[in-house]
Amino acid sequence: MKNKLILFLGLFLSTSVAVLAQDNISPARKQAIDSLALEKVKDLSKYISIIGSKETQFSEANRVMDRAEELFAPGAEMGVSSINTQEIAYYKVRRYFERLMALNYDRVNITWYDIQYISDLERQPDGRYVGVITIYQRFEGTSIETGMNYKDTTKKDITIYVEKKQTQIAGRTIEFWDVMLGDVRVTETSA
Amino acid sequence: MRKTFLIFAFFIAIISNVPGQGLGSPGTIKDDGRFAASTKQLNQFFRRFNGEESVDGNIRFYPQDSLYRNLPLRKGFLTILFDNQTSSISPDLKNQFTKNVLSEVYPQYLVFHQPGWYAEVNTEFFFKGKREKATLIMKIQAEGLGYEWVIDKVIFEPFKNLFNKPVGDQKAFLHPLSHEIGFMNMRRAFQDSGSPESFTPSTYEPDYLAIFLYEMKQNNLRFETVTGLKFHFFQIEGWYFEVNQFNRPGFNTGWLISNLVRLGPGDKETILKYIYDQE
Repeated sequence: MKNKLILFLGLFLSTSVAVLAQDNISPARKQAIDSLALEKVKDLSKYISIIGSKETQFSEANRVMDRAEELFAPGAEMGVSSINTQEIAYYKVRRYFERLMALNYDRVNITWYDIQYISDLERQPDGRYVGVITIYQRFEGTSIETGMNYKDTTKKDITIYVEKKQTQIAGRTIEFWDVMLGDVRVTETSA
Repeated sequence: MRKTFLIFAFFIAIISNVPGQGLGSPGTIKDDGRFAASTKQLNQFFRRFNGEESVDGNIRFYPQDSLYRNLPLRKGFLTILFDNQTSSISPDLKNQFTKNVLSEVYPQYLVFHQPGWYAEVNTEFFFKGKREKATLIMKIQAEGLGYEWVIDKVIFEPFKNLFNKPVGDQKAFLHPLSHEIGFMNMRRAFQDSGSPESFTPSTYEPDYLAIFLYEMKQNNLRFETVTGLKFHFFQIEGWYFEVNQFNRPGFNTGWLISNLVRLGPGDKETILKYIYDQE
């Protein structure tokens, strides 16, 4: 009897975990979250272009870096690899932007491909949802002195964290979904 | 098969040229279809394999959608999910696999949250001041309110020959009447033997992951970087396949099947042993 009870309890608990772990974001909600996340990614893309541009003043670049940093969850990192080496070099987000700003080209042009891919949202142990948005960036840098022209296309896999939050407006509790960017994997492509 | 692949890849390329909700700014570059055709995430590999998204990848299909797991859609996707450039998977084997997966009576799907698939992560650590390769075999498990990746096994060269138990005359032992002398002979055994594993049962298997974690906690092992990643799938009954990322020019890129094996009796265990031990 005792064994049966334990077996039943075990079965019940394992089912509860599975039910809890299921994705309970409806397709319509998912679409709304995707749009919100995409907006943040668009903002990031815009900021990267401004930071990378040689026409941007130092003080303005710093201000944009602050804005860009605010898009990210604390501790987020950029993991960069090239065609020649699979090895990932890690940079804190701010450091990555600073490196981008300090690139030694006279002209820098950063553009984005008209394609992106948004993954499903998966729930992590703490209850927050996590997803990944993939976008492609084209970089062109020209050095007038050496006449050197460098081009590359990178794939950026951007982590997004989605969390249900609450706020008080006029004494009423309003629930909303918040999106933060997380680690970004930057891979140089052969394109 | 190759013809179908080309037709489907071309179809994706055409579809992707329809302006969608891109990053939007006026300076946006038009993809010539290569990035659209690429299986950009493993998530997309799952969705394409199962027929759970539109050809251009912009619409996610759910069970209530008419095209959800649609057979012709899946068939098209399956042709582009193989590495058609470098892998030597025969067309016949691919056909058998496709037929099996798309069977009308018993179609098979990949399930993200179910066991039967693993990530093999190649990494580099500093071990006692020296850069060393370590392979971590990871799996997904339910935890708390969701899921997480956990380390199932570790393959680490410096540990490999640590427990090579001597055999025959070379193997030290504690004689069978040691208990009568209160195991006093242990002192000599442990002091003289450089192979204390000699005194373990014949079935003894060292737990390399435990040692690995211990060394990390002792600060003897410091993580440096990830150098590679691939996936092993056993979820399709009677089949094993490997998924690798192909970063190259063209339309056949991204996460693709690079190895396919029809499993006979005992083959799964052999492959798993190979993956775990890297023999």
